[in-house]
Amino acid sequence: MAWLVVRLAISVSLLYAASAVFEDQVGKFDWRQQFIGKVRFALFDTHSQASKKLLVATDKNVFASLNSRTGDLFWRHVDKTGPEGHIDALLMYGQDAVVVVGNGRLLRSWETTVGGLKWETVLDTGSFQAAALVGVQDLVKYVAVLKKSAISLHDLSSGSQIWGENLPDSDSVQYQTIYSGENGLVFVLGIVPNSHIVIVEYKIEDGEIMNKKSVEAAWMSSLESSCAVVSSGILLCVDQITQSLYTLPLQSAEQTEMRQIHLQMLDLEVASGFRPVLTSTQPNPAQPPLSEFFLQLSPDHHILLQFKDGLIALLRDFSPSYLAAFATSGERTVAAVMSPKNDTACSINLFSADTGRKHLDTTIIYHMDPNGGKPNRLYVHAFLKKDDSVGYRVMVQTEDLTLTFLQQPGRVVWMREEALADVVTMEMVDLPFTGTQAELEGEFGKKAAIQDGLLPMVLKRLSSQFILLQAWLAHLWKLFYDARKPRSSVKHEVTIDILSRDEFNLQKMMLMVTASGKLFGIDSKSGTILWKQYLENIQPNSVFKLIVQRTTAHFPHPPQCTLLIKNKDTGLGSLYVFNPIFGKKSQISVPTLPRPVLQTLLLPVIDQDYAKVLLLIDDQYKVTAFPSTKNVLQQLQDTASSIFFYLVDSSQGKLSGFRLRKDLSTELIWEVVIPTEVQKIVAVKGKRANEHVHSQGRVMGDRSVLYKYLNPNLLAVITESTDTHQERSFVGIFLIDGVTGRIVHEAVQRKARGPVHFVHSENWVVYVYWNSKFRRNEFSVLELFEGAELYNSTVFSSLDRPHAPQVLQQSYIFPAPINTLEATLTEKGITSRHLLVGLPSGNILSLPKMFLDPRRPELVSEQSREENLIPYAPEMPIREEWFINYNQTVSRVRGIYTAPSGLESTCLVVAYGLDIYQTRVFPSKQFDVLKDDYDYILISSVLFGLFFATMISKRLAEVKLLNRAWR
Amino acid sequence: MCRLCVAALLLLAAASCSLDVKLHDDEDEDEDAMFQTPGGDVRVRVSGRALVPGVRAQDWIASARVLLDGDKHVGFLRDDGSFTVSDVPSGSYVLEISSPTYRFQPVRVDITTTGKMRARVVNYIKTSEVIRLPYPLQMRCIGLHSYFIPRETWGWSDFLMNPMVLMMVLPLLIILLLPKVFNPSDPEMRREMEQSMNMLNSNQELPDVSELMTKFFSSPKSHGKAGGGARGHRGGAPSARGGASRRKMKD
Repeated sequence: MAWLVVRLAISVSLLYAASAVFEDQVGKFDWRQQFIGKVRFALFDTHSQASKKLLVATDKNVFASLNSRTGDLFWRHVDKTGPEGHIDALLMYGQDAVVVVGNGRLLRSWETTVGGLKWETVLDTGSFQAAALVGVQDLVKYVAVLKKSAISLHDLSSGSQIWGENLPDSDSVQYQTIYSGENGLVFVLGIVPNSHIVIVEYKIEDGEIMNKKSVEAAWMSSLESSCAVVSSGILLCVDQITQSLYTLPLQSAEQTEMRQIHLQMLDLEVASGFRPVLTSTQPNPAQPPLSEFFLQLSPDHHILLQFKDGLIALLRDFSPSYLAAFATSGERTVAAVMSPKNDTACSINLFSADTGRKHLDTTIIYHMDPNGGKPNRLYVHAFLKKDDSVGYRVMVQTEDLTLTFLQQPGRVVWMREEALADVVTMEMVDLPFTGTQAELEGEFGKKAAIQDGLLPMVLKRLSSQFILLQAWLAHLWKLFYDARKPRSSVKHEVTIDILSRDEFNLQKMMLMVTASGKLFGIDSKSGTILWKQYLENIQPNSVFKLIVQRTTAHFPHPPQCTLLIKNKDTGLGSLYVFNPIFGKKSQISVPTLPRPVLQTLLLPVIDQDYAKVLLLIDDQYKVTAFPSTKNVLQQLQDTASSIFFYLVDSSQGKLSGFRLRKDLSTELIWEVVIPTEVQKIVAVKGKRANEHVHSQGRVMGDRSVLYKYLNPNLLAVITESTDTHQERSFVGIFLIDGVTGRIVHEAVQRKARGPVHFVHSENWVVYVYWNSKFRRNEFSVLELFEGAELYNSTVFSSLDRPHAPQVLQQSYIFPAPINTLEATLTEKGITSRHLLVGLPSGNILSLPKMFLDPRRPELVSEQSREENLIPYAPEMPIREEWFINYNQTVSRVRGIYTAPSGLESTCLVVAYGLDIYQTRVFPSKQFDVLKDDYDYILISSVLFGLFFATMISKRLAEVKLLNRAWR
Repeated sequence: MCRLCVAALLLLAAASCSLDVKLHDDEDEDEDAMFQTPGGDVRVRVSGRALVPGVRAQDWIASARVLLDGDKHVGFLRDDGSFTVSDVPSGSYVLEISSPTYRFQPVRVDITTTGKMRARVVNYIKTSEVIRLPYPLQMRCIGLHSYFIPRETWGWSDFLMNPMVLMMVLPLLIILLLPKVFNPSDPEMRREMEQSMNMLNSNQELPDVSELMTKFFSSPKSHGKAGGGARGHRGGAPSARGGASRRKMKD
């Protein structure tokens, strides 16, 4: 009895301490990288010369301040996702930044040094059109926001509305831009497409309409894209059909027609099919814009023009040029132009805006990544040097969302891979052996053994041992050499060449697929990006599936991964095959997929090159095998009768099971219809293929065994009711055998709704739903058992299982919202399981599965105590020690990936969302390695102490014996 | 036009009273913070103030957010610690301040369809229980997050008080010290000892020591003691903690 209590005490203490982080482990094996997303607005703080701030607003609804010297974040504010948090505009004046959020719903002002909110104002509804800072007598005091049918003016210091006016004829006129010069007026420009422009003048003080006029412009369809205001209130528009520029002074009362200037007069021509773009600059909102502007005539042709006295003068023609941007420092405005230099590099040069003269020695060479995309945005930070000349730095954004910050003469100051802010799917691949390790492996290859005789084998053996010795000595020397140097100077540069599998296989290659179509190979230990590959022409609404076909275990065959890219609308897919270690595209011929792909299936069948076979099922239920060599097809024919797969059609509420035929066609075996009028299928999950279950059953308190129902073909299907009323909504779960279509179990959670997160593993399913009656999240666990004896203990067959499993279920309250859910995974499945719960606060909770055990008793009995069952409690505890990422919160965590390592106790975890966090968890503590704080000194001192004590006492005993003998 | 003016007035009023919220009554604030969307559903503004005693607001507000029901609605903190979450439709929400360093107690905010608001203590088990909290919300920091568990430290006292060590050291002392206390070669002493030995052996009725021990340990009261004792110094502290939280769960 006593030992039982002790065991309980041990297990409980283990449980509470398990998977907590010790303070000295911080940063030891975990890392976090923070991202912001695709930059939509970027502004450099030009308020003071020494300022390092770079304010960015991104498509991920993030507003952040970056350190422009290092690229690190000063602060970052993550707003809610979706259109309600969408950042429409970013304006900056002095220390404050004004942001328009949620289609003009909110107006916020931020203090940029600390990152605190200054004020926030709710605006009237109406779709946002434009926002501008408004200055009065050289001072910027207001911000004007233009909506579809109203304009409002707000005070910059408090956010209070000065005035708000409805726009005249807003149902027929599309008001699109706003302009304010120096003369106490706000101009609102609207357009009736292909008819006329409407210009309304408002008085800044009280919003009184001073003037309203309409100007004929039959050729114009949109103001925003083709017009700009230059000089002192001159509206300038460009039209590609008439190949001309049009000008109109906004303020003049007499001119009621736009003046046409043919581009031919300037010897210019717009490239056919290209929409010309005008770019002007207004360095100070309280002063009129400059009279210089850029006109882009084709994708690689920019012209710097000047408007003076009603005439347009050509200052400089940049051909070819990709990008052009203005920047201002103090009183001087410059223009930076990026032009192609050669195939792999671009040069950026600085020109003075007012003359178009090139500044000497201002070239920045930008080297394009051959595996990346083209540059598409240029942000320039100009500053005055000590000798009063203008210096500059540039930030280049590319199609693949790389931000590169450069300074003269082309030094990359920092680089951010913002594509990683939107990781879609990922995998972890073992690193390969080093050359020497591979050499050893090769020695035991079958072919070699047959060809060679005995003697060459011995020689080979000796030589490889010698190589190993050499490598070890080199390693020791390196250790010695590094140890002598101070710690900071030792550079830990990680390259692919030196990467190799470590002793416990803790370091792996993380493959990350991002929504923008960029693939990354990241070292899991340090977070260094080892390779990246941008796949061009990826549709924005593509879905990706990453499949590891061959691991690194089959030397000399390179590892092989396949990415299935599928267009969500058409369903058409394509395959991209690559080497996950080096990121190189494989030369293997890939089957073309002319029909939409419905399902993929990775078989355990391998071809002669050890690549697993991937089956792709199209919408006519035809199967394509990849690779499809003769060998594979032969194997498929042999095993066809035991290959089953399922398809889900959520629009019709249909689940159907198919079997493969010998000729690679399929036959329908079963079909389950879940009526769509009542409920819809939201998710279907099987079990993970690489999961091992160590114990077949659970030992009960009375020494009998409760065997687990371990059906590898089991599918968990989650449904939600179509009726969303609080009283009638429900969440359903079906457990369906994927081979026979038999519904093993069915459960319904009433007064519940999604989003449902769930994990399906071993013999259990854990799912989380929202209880709409009590307004809380609830966990429910289903566990399936065969009973006291196994039906067929050697092999599981779905076709021969006469007894239905026993199902146990229990639910708990979870006192926090949930973003995502995943379970830990270890090599052999001996270690106890934990659930990893991603919380909206950014923490990742490691919740012992022990708390989600449907056998938790309400009343403690002797037997339940013996089984280490925790008594039932309705509310799940959340302890801060269980947060595996301590204060390294992961914003908007969307997925958690778990992978086993070579150590049974250790599970590798990657959480991704806006940020990426990698760590290791030890659900049952590190039972198979010495602890980090293992006291070597104590152990060795005790050993030595004992050794010397025996020596001394032996000597003393000898002396004593001798003395006695003499007596 | 007129509606707009009213809205503007409301805005002004809301802005002015958010600066000094304590002076106003609950009900007043509710009315001011309310907005009507064209669709007719009520949108309110939830406001309050978060305080971390002894820490300047600038040091923590940049990394903190105000979350309503996860990140369904998000608000940000001003540099005086006050916050507003704008544009919240009616319903019941759990408002929490998420900061990687400081801990705050979450608060449940109920908003009726007419825009009335109240704040109460979050209770997930008895969800209808109402313990009202002041509104505008006063969020006080209840300490730092304790993410880490302390390492077990090694000390001489722990080592010496270890039952294993005690079991080894005490007999050693007895073996060494007993001969000094009384001389076994003394014939009188020897006789006495032999006598006592005989007495022990002859008395068969006396219960076995092992039996005595099992009985002693199986009595329910001594569980904790036995567990802690046999586990030694390392297990001692965690098991005590485990026991405490188990008790909590039973509640």
